[in-house]
Amino acid sequence: MVYITIIICSALGILLGLNLPTISYTYSGYLAIAIIAALDSVFGGLTSILKKNFDIRIFVSGFFGNAILAMLLTYLGERLNVDIYLAAVIVFVGRMFTNLSIIRRIYIEKWSKKYDEKHNAKQE
Amino acid sequence: MKKEIIIGFLCFLIATSICVLYRSVNKYTTEGQVSVQSVAENRLKDRVLAEQENYEKLSQELQNAQSKLENLRRDSANNSDEAKKLEKELSELNRLLGYTDVKGKGIIIKLEDAEASDENNKDSLVHDLDLLDIVNELFNAGAEAISINGQRILANTAINCNGNVVRINNEKVGAPFVINAIGLPNGLYGAMTRPDGYLDLMASGKIKIQIDKVENDELVVPKYTGTIQHQYMEVAE
Repeated sequence: MVYITIIICSALGILLGLNLPTISYTYSGYLAIAIIAALDSVFGGLTSILKKNFDIRIFVSGFFGNAILAMLLTYLGERLNVDIYLAAVIVFVGRMFTNLSIIRRIYIEKWSKKYDEKHNAKQE
Repeated sequence: MKKEIIIGFLCFLIATSICVLYRSVNKYTTEGQVSVQSVAENRLKDRVLAEQENYEKLSQELQNAQSKLENLRRDSANNSDEAKKLEKELSELNRLLGYTDVKGKGIIIKLEDAEASDENNKDSLVHDLDLLDIVNELFNAGAEAISINGQRILANTAINCNGNVVRINNEKVGAPFVINAIGLPNGLYGAMTRPDGYLDLMASGKIKIQIDKVENDELVVPKYTGTIQHQYMEVAE
């Protein structure tokens, strides 16, 4: 159910994105970092849905909070001439992989459980 | 369900921004503006882009102003015969100077660097001197107006080397070069394709050359958009 919503909404988003004007080069870095932060939040949200401790307030605040913080860090890094955005990328992408592995584990456990039950039923 | 709607909306946001970003980045790279992604370099690049845009806008403005001036001149010339005569003379002189777009039949020459071009093999690139020789041959064959990549060749046009581009009328022009020449198509074509002609020599360096005849009077050679200044020259009696 969640996945269907995600796919439909992403398709709609792509349709809208194709018709929007492009952005200037200066801001493309900020948008990129915001996208990575937001993607991280979505993966986190999926994990928590599967773990059944999903809280919509935490999810939404994380989504926007992370994106804004990442953009602010990028801005600060630009002022200080340090590529701080790299730190944000590493943290977010690392967390994405962690969340992905949790999602993977949950599904594999689910499926192997089902398989075992079927197998046992046959044997009996 | 509420949470699905919110997750869906956020995914919608992400997909939209990814799409916009993808198209923007695609635009920068295909326009050859940016190849390296570093936030620290952005401001300089942006400034160059802004200046480019500004330049284009200003030259557009200049063209608008020129055409406005043209119209005003024509309008005021309608009042008297004397002014009409002068106006006619003026437009004739402008035509001779290269201040008006002209069209007619002629040929189009396209020159492209050889595919395996490298800096050490000089024959694989189109150089300023090549263009100069071609212009020379075209004028010799009776061409009446010539432009290279939209830069009109005037009596005092200089063609010189500027690193990896060529400077014509002080404007940077890069390969591939498209040379429009107005004149008798067959005559120009014959002169350019004669054995041992200059283009023949260039073809031996694997430079891609394409010559097209335009027979229908629709070949346009654009006007010179700069100004010609004469400071030291006076009429000798």
